[in-house]
Amino acid sequence: MNVSPDLVSDVAEVLLTEAQIEAKVAELGQQISADYAGRDLTLVSVLKGSLPFMADLMRRVSLPLRIDLMEVSSYGGTSTESSGLVRILKDLSAPIDGRDVLLVEDIIDTGLTLNYLIRYLKGKNPRSIKVCALLDKPARRLVEIPLDYVGFEIPDAFVVGYGLDFGEVYRNLRFVGVLRPEAYES
Amino acid sequence: MTDEDAIIGPRPDHGFAHASEAEFARILDFYQVAWEYEPTVFPILWDLDGNVLESFAPDFYLPDLEIFVELTTLQQRLVRKKNRKVRRLRELYPGLRIKLFYARDFRALMLKYGRAALVSELSGALGQVTSRGETDGPAEPEGRPDDLDRASGPKGDADPIAPDTGAEPGPRHDRRSRAARRRAGRRAAAAAVHAPVT
Repeated sequence: MNVSPDLVSDVAEVLLTEAQIEAKVAELGQQISADYAGRDLTLVSVLKGSLPFMADLMRRVSLPLRIDLMEVSSYGGTSTESSGLVRILKDLSAPIDGRDVLLVEDIIDTGLTLNYLIRYLKGKNPRSIKVCALLDKPARRLVEIPLDYVGFEIPDAFVVGYGLDFGEVYRNLRFVGVLRPEAYES
Repeated sequence: MTDEDAIIGPRPDHGFAHASEAEFARILDFYQVAWEYEPTVFPILWDLDGNVLESFAPDFYLPDLEIFVELTTLQQRLVRKKNRKVRRLRELYPGLRIKLFYARDFRALMLKYGRAALVSELSGALGQVTSRGETDGPAEPEGRPDDLDRASGPKGDADPIAPDTGAEPGPRHDRRSRAARRRAGRRAAAAAVHAPVT
């Protein structure tokens, strides 16, 4: 993998600027604040991609809330071994039974991870589970799960930045951009 | 077979026609999504006597999600053919949900899972596999011979006016060997070709 030192050179196109993201996150935060007023809200962030989104979103929600973090293994993972099943690498640190859970995701693509997570979290008896995704990429969707809050619908392109990675790199870009094919073909 | 059996543990050889299908099945297994391989053959073209001339068996059915998935990682000519079949399928069975995964989608999926290096060996003619121990003639140079392979259809009960619910999946997978299915398909296709057209 050939990563340019400034990262930005590997980006073919800025899809969402920092300002656009900031404005959208504020808007989502307002909506969530209105919808969950008077309820016991827990924001659950799915590591690692949704970390920046979670950090910004939680500060735009003007309600008492709890946050929690989860991490699930991804297909392929760090090895080339393709057998095995998805695993919870980091589980919730507090019970969610009776609470309203809002799953905070960076991007919904096939929906396979989200489908697994929702099934898993339902087993913990929350009062409700809803989904807030910054990016929705419906082109390859296999599992149709209603997304309750969506920042942006994006085209079918490989995007990085604002938490999204390629080979664990580019997460710290402040915008969302389309990665140059040369960056992942090399 | 219980749902749990369907998604956990080693699977029997499904006789995947293409390595990309085996990889896709592994992804579904990983995320614990139940699947069936080519469980349903949909007739999509009949002659005037009601004999099935052409059928289409989507690669996967995901019963819990009620969606069929067809992978198309072969040559462009075959992609056009698949597109036409999927269009026809949607016309005839409007209640059916089917997702066509093109080579670029599969490539993107591999990229997402950090398996880009596998793309070339899982795509195109390189990814074609034959069933274990079967030597049913030389490998088809242009990929899977869809029309022959799948023309057999649900024999005897091919209903030209199939209801929307005709998409009910059959058994988990067709236990006939690929060669047997291919032979049956050839017989059905030959019969259809020679059937008197009035």
